[in-house]
This record gives sequence, structure tokens and C-alpha cells, in this order.
Amino acid sequence: MFTSSPFAEIATFVPPIAMQAYVILMILAVAGGALFDVIHKSSGKFFALDWKRSQARATRQIGMFETVWLAIKTIGKEMITSGEFCNPMRRISHLLMFYGFLLYVITTVIIVFAYPTEPSPGILPFLWTLGAIMVLIGGYWFFFFLRVNVAHEGHSPFSLMWADLFIVTLLGSVTLALLWAFTQAAGLTTLSTVLFVIYVFFSTLLFVSVPWSKFAHMFYKPVVAFQKRVQEANGSSSLPMPASDRKGGM
Amino acid sequence: MPTFVYMTRCDGCGHCVDICPSDIMHIDPTYRRAYNIEPNFCWECYSCVKACPQHAIDVRGYADFAPLGHSVRVRREEEEATVAWKLKFRDGREKNFLSPIRTTPWGSIKSPADYEAPGANALSSQILAHEPEGLKVDELPTPPPLKTKKG
Repeated sequence: MFTSSPFAEIATFVPPIAMQAYVILMILAVAGGALFDVIHKSSGKFFALDWKRSQARATRQIGMFETVWLAIKTIGKEMITSGEFCNPMRRISHLLMFYGFLLYVITTVIIVFAYPTEPSPGILPFLWTLGAIMVLIGGYWFFFFLRVNVAHEGHSPFSLMWADLFIVTLLGSVTLALLWAFTQAAGLTTLSTVLFVIYVFFSTLLFVSVPWSKFAHMFYKPVVAFQKRVQEANGSSSLPMPASDRKGGM
Repeated sequence: MPTFVYMTRCDGCGHCVDICPSDIMHIDPTYRRAYNIEPNFCWECYSCVKACPQHAIDVRGYADFAPLGHSVRVRREEEEATVAWKLKFRDGREKNFLSPIRTTPWGSIKSPADYEAPGANALSSQILAHEPEGLKVDELPTPPPLKTKKG
């Protein structure tokens, strides 16, 4: 299971071209969903307006070099290390899900396009399984213990609400992917086929539900973090200056 | 209308839910972000505004006393033990205030649970818990007995 690709096995009844077309469709669904989200919720317009207001209120102009440096800092802190989280548990859980999901998706794409029928190099199925396990650890930890409505509102860990659409479909997709790979490796053909169908259902729901789920936060959160940094740098922020930037009082 | 949440900044950490004395800051079931469920009951105490680590909560004053376009923002920094306020007026004036939150280092004050439990006879005592040592005196000053005129 850790060294053999489950996708090569199903190539006997699902043609590689169908798998590749499905992956492309899902990529288009995410891109289209994110675009729809930007237009429907006017978030693009909001960010553009916020940017204009920030420029109008600026007390100093920041140059190209400084803007790039702020973008690098945003990538380094908010994007790569999820540094905006104040709760270290949430940060670790988020990082496990983020990197696990990237590993899982990227290896899936490589296997489906480069090794659809033949055994892939052992490292790819290993990374695919590792990514899935990381998502499951971070995801179930978040779902049962760290969800804000469970940890702070006193809701049951089994309660569900609309905001759980993303985490439920993500966990459903990844859990079933591992179960499918495991049953396939164990030779349980019928069960693995049933699990594969449910896996495809959850994966489709995960990528198609972008406009209604939290998936789009991957794209707009870095924009918000970058704008906040720019506003603090050009003096247009309405917030008081942080103590680290204060020199001899206010 | 008093407190409101910038949804793009909120990361749903729940600090405002824990600290709100009116229990009106809750989590939105659609976006899992904080929101004020009953603005009419908001005291504008700024507890949630100060507690929010993302500075995602703001207060919009009532139109009868707060002019439109104003802004009152606060940044509370525990590590620095400071609370800073920035006031912007509609005419462009700006005022900044910086105050200490406390005068002792963070975490240096013992919690009540760290003290020994008082004995039963402490209930009938006139002095309060940790007195007089908490006030750094040997004994509390006692006023002289009241002298009243007879007759």
C-alpha cells in the first residue's frame, strides 16, 4: 500500500484518459468556483476598494522594493507557516492539513498523468499516503477538538453546520482514499470498488463546492494579510502602531 | 450596531466568544467566523475588540454621539503590557494614547488558587483575604474608639 499506486490498479476498468479528464475537470471546478466566489461575494471589488482607500490615506508612499519585501514577509509568515494563528494547536493542525493536502493532491496529479497504468516510483505512493495521513491527523484533531464552535461554544464534537462542508468533504475524500488503497492492497476487490465510488463522490463534492465552502480562504487570506502589512507600512492603518515599531512613545 | 466583525480578518479563534460579558459574540454557522448576535445588547465595553488577536472587531458608535467617518481602534499587547488607542476624527485630526495595562510583569501575580485555603474562623474576621500582608503593612490602622457624650 505504501509503495504501490492504487491508481495503476484501477486502470483496468477506469481508462487513464477518464482519470486525467476528471483531474482537469476538478482543477477547472476549483478555478471557476474561486472566480464565482470572487464575483458573487464581491470580494474582488472589496479588496480593490480597500486598496484604493489605503493609497488615498497613506502618509508615506512605499516603493516597489518595499512592496515586494512585504509580499515575501506575507508568504513567509502567513502562507508558509500559518503564523497568524495565536493558538499553537490550531497552527500545527492547520499546517498538517495544508502540507498534507498539497502533498496528497500533487502526488495524485503526478501519478494520474505520468504513471496511469504502470507502477510509479515507490516514493510517489509513499508521499501520497504520507500526505493523506497528515491531513487525517490534522483534520480529525481539528474536527473533534479545535473547531471553534466545539472548543468555545460548547457544541458537541459530532455537531455539523454549513461551515463544516469543507472539512467534512476533505476528511471524507482522504479517509476513503486510504481505505480504498488499503482494501485494494488486501485484495478485497468488491469492497475497494465500492469505497472507490464513495471516494470519487467526496472528492467531487470537495472541489465542486468551492463557492459554498471555506476552500476559497486559501486564496483570499494571503491577500488580506498582505493588505494589512501594506496599510501598516504606508501609515493608512487605523490601528495604533505596534510596540515593536514605536520609538520613544507614540 | 455597536461591535461588528471584519469577516476577512477574523480567523474564528473564539477569544471574543469567551470574553464577551453579555455573551453576544458567537460563531456564525455558515462561515465559522465571529459575529455579534444581538447588537442592541452590546455595552461597547471593548473587551472583544481588545481580545481579538487579528484586530478583526471594530465598534461603530451610535450616530447621535459619534460622527460618521470617525474611528476608535485599540491594540492591546500583553507582552509589552500596554494598551494603545488611536482616535481619528472626521475632520482628519488624530489622537494617540498609550497606557500601561499593569505595573507588574505578566504572570507574576499569584492566582487565588495558589494561596492556602483560609480557616473557618476567617469568616468571622473583620479583615479581608490577604490582609494585612497583601497591603504590605504589619497591621491595619484601627480608628480610636468612638467617644460619645453621655446624657
